[in-house]
Amino acid sequence: MRPEEISKPGERLEYLDPKKLAPLPPPYDDLEEEPITELTEEQKKKWEHSLDGVSALNLPRPETKEEEDKLVLAFLRGYEKLVSKENNWAFLQPLSLSLEYCARCQTCADACPVYEMSGHKDIYRPTFRSDVLRKIGKKYLSPGGKILAGFRGHDIDLKWETIARLAELAYRCTLCRRCTQVCPIGVDNGLITHELRKIFSMEMGIAPMEVHEKGSVKHLQFGSSTGMIKAAIEDIIEYLEDDIEEKTGKRIKIPVNKKGAEILLVHNAGEFMAWPENPMAFAVLFDAAGISYTLSTEFVGYDAVNYGLWYDDVQFARVAIKHLEVARDLGVKKIVIGECGHAHKALSVIADRLLPSEQMIPRESSYALLWDIVKSGKIKFDPNKNDFPVTLHDPCNVVRLMGVVKPQREILKAITPPGRFREMTPHGVNNYCCGGGSGFAIMGSGNFPEWRVKLSGRKKLTQYLNAFQGEMDPSIKKMICAPCSNCKGMTRDLMEHYEIFEKTGIWYTGLVELMVNAMVDQEKPFITWPDEDEDM
Amino acid sequence: MDILQLLTYASGVIFVVFFARKLLKYWTMPMHVRWELYPVPHEGKEWGGSFYEDVDHWKKTRHVDHVAQYRFMVPEILFIRALYEDNRPLWRWTFPFHLGLYLSIGGLVFLAIGALLQIAGRAPDASGLAALAQSLTIIFGVIGFALGTIGAVGLIVKRLTDPMLKDYTSGLDLLNLFWLGAIFVTGFLVWLSDPGFAVSRGYLASLLTFSPGPSLGGMQIINLLLFIGFWAYFPFTHMTHMISKYFMWDKVKWDDMPNRGDAGMDSKIKAYLSYPVSWSGAHIGAEGGKKSWAEVATTNPWAQPQKEEK
Ligand code: SF4
Ligand code: SF4
Repeated sequence: MRPEEISKPGERLEYLDPKKLAPLPPPYDDLEEEPITELTEEQKKKWEHSLDGVSALNLPRPETKEEEDKLVLAFLRGYEKLVSKENNWAFLQPLSLSLEYCARCQTCADACPVYEMSGHKDIYRPTFRSDVLRKIGKKYLSPGGKILAGFRGHDIDLKWETIARLAELAYRCTLCRRCTQVCPIGVDNGLITHELRKIFSMEMGIAPMEVHEKGSVKHLQFGSSTGMIKAAIEDIIEYLEDDIEEKTGKRIKIPVNKKGAEILLVHNAGEFMAWPENPMAFAVLFDAAGISYTLSTEFVGYDAVNYGLWYDDVQFARVAIKHLEVARDLGVKKIVIGECGHAHKALSVIADRLLPSEQMIPRESSYALLWDIVKSGKIKFDPNKNDFPVTLHDPCNVVRLMGVVKPQREILKAITPPGRFREMTPHGVNNYCCGGGSGFAIMGSGNFPEWRVKLSGRKKLTQYLNAFQGEMDPSIKKMICAPCSNCKGMTRDLMEHYEIFEKTGIWYTGLVELMVNAMVDQEKPFITWPDEDEDM
Repeated sequence: MDILQLLTYASGVIFVVFFARKLLKYWTMPMHVRWELYPVPHEGKEWGGSFYEDVDHWKKTRHVDHVAQYRFMVPEILFIRALYEDNRPLWRWTFPFHLGLYLSIGGLVFLAIGALLQIAGRAPDASGLAALAQSLTIIFGVIGFALGTIGAVGLIVKRLTDPMLKDYTSGLDLLNLFWLGAIFVTGFLVWLSDPGFAVSRGYLASLLTFSPGPSLGGMQIINLLLFIGFWAYFPFTHMTHMISKYFMWDKVKWDDMPNRGDAGMDSKIKAYLSYPVSWSGAHIGAEGGKKSWAEVATTNPWAQPQKEEK
């Protein structure tokens, strides 16, 4: 399918046949998968779904031709701003290079897990959406763009369908940037998707509800994207102290808003609700290692997420500035980022050139600090306590996009018996995304969650299964270490959808949980498997 | 001065002006936020790691491993390694094509050296150095033309038949390949009629000395017109990716320079934060360009006394 065909009339551009999806390894090799559930008739009437029958954005259809034209014009206006210095200084150079220099060699296609696992559906090719954007720019925004447009390869129609499908298509890419890694020119299709999302959000006010209204807006309204306010997080931290006592037999005081502490530790607030063992394990380890740190319960300071990273530079900057402000007010020497991949990249890498250096505070990955703790010998670990096969998922934001590759591996090697830790293929900087990147893990409207577990997470599921082939008997418990909140969320959804634990004995956890599980003075196992009674 | 010479000069001027304009466009763009992609070879960690793997990394002297960077870049530039590893079927054609291009350009450089020597009175039959320049012109040129032709034909066939490429190939892409292929083929035919490239060398010498040139044969004129046409057209195409690759790799993918109190970086950031924002999204609150980046980023439209979400 040529990118120009995005504008062709029709109820749907692509149909997803479950039989054409890339096959899964055993024990799912003969799985008869259901097609993705169709939207209801009412939803179909309400929402744009003509790309692939899936609605991530719940984009309402304009009621009149005038409204349609207005949206098309708004898109073009946004595109102009996207390539202007004033409105997009932060990404202008990489974006312009990527828009201008694609050689259309398609080397990137096979690197993309979505394209590959969809059974090579053209609409999911990394170049498909980039080329649509390029062609619109060349035809409608460049001087003389309409002259010989067909011969020059950009004769694309621009109408509501084009824009609506493009908006949905902006949310079929996880921004993992695997495609960029293999491009012989350096063209960045992940960046183009990111920038495309910016036109929709920053100019047209179109973004997934879970990422914007229920995400970055809530973050700036209540202090956390979870909607938790200061009083609630303070209560939760108290409960955590009780839970730690119950699980470890030790009463630990979790430091909160402690001026003069060396480190501000920031967690994805979702951890407190979905996986409280993770902040608990951090508290146990930091306490045992004698680390001078504090959590914050100040506005925004208790939620490390920054959803703006995925779709909106202004929302990104607002949250990042708040994070830095909280750290400055506490007078800490550095911010340490817990097990949240996108928070790592947002605060460490992208925010690095957001403010002049005098307003910055050093930021560090918790993986690096945890490895330092292991090396220091301040905590004694008994690897035999983690005597089960373990594999490691590499969160794209921490590994390919930030270069933190080794510490987490070294930790796992130190806290598991020899031969128990095995790598996935490929891993490290060549890893595959969990499938929940760029907001997907939290996006749950319409039939998007099904698309996610069947397509964007399919490659990771394949890797998870391949890591443990030969040990698939469900009675052999096996663990995926996924040191990132969003990756865990996505993995949890895969677990549920494919009943992975029941069928294979594979489960998932974070890195610090495995560390505490291996602590010599930890009497009871810290990790619980789904078939165990927590109180046992 | 004849019309061909005038056209050649004009083409050279267009090339220089527009190529420089393109370079300038990218050089003068604002510093972007960090958007690196690992592995970054100058980090010198073969597993693709970065300085973020170290505790208190900002206290350490930043180590930039230039040798590792060159070890990575040289095979990439000369052999298009990325394509060799990830798209071998295309590499089989694009590698001879690009190598043909490099060798032909090398041949042109030796031809220019030969022309300079000729101006200095050292013809190939009387000077060892000039004879060497001539031999190298022939070797580079002829092998370059042959490889370039093979590559161009292969790429045209591949673009027309490969289902992965067909839908992403425009008439203009084919014309570009055909045009370059025609330069290679006619270059080869010129060599057959003038095995020492004596006429071409004489023509180049006339250009360098602004004097009347030798009379050119039919094939030489065709080759020259194809070449100068392409030379003037080149800066306007995406084929300048040889140059853009520098920016894309060195200035984007590998730009991990941290913000550690560099005065230049700070003053740039301050200037950018004062740029006006005109994004229209209601949540931005840019007021149509009245607000700066610093203002919108430090405004919280949802600020309120804390209340539990209902
Ligand atoms: S993005 Fe890169 S790899 Fe993909 S088609 Fe363009 S040049 Fe080739
Ligand atoms: S960024 Fe990742 S998901 Fe998006 S097109 Fe590239 S490889 Fe595919």
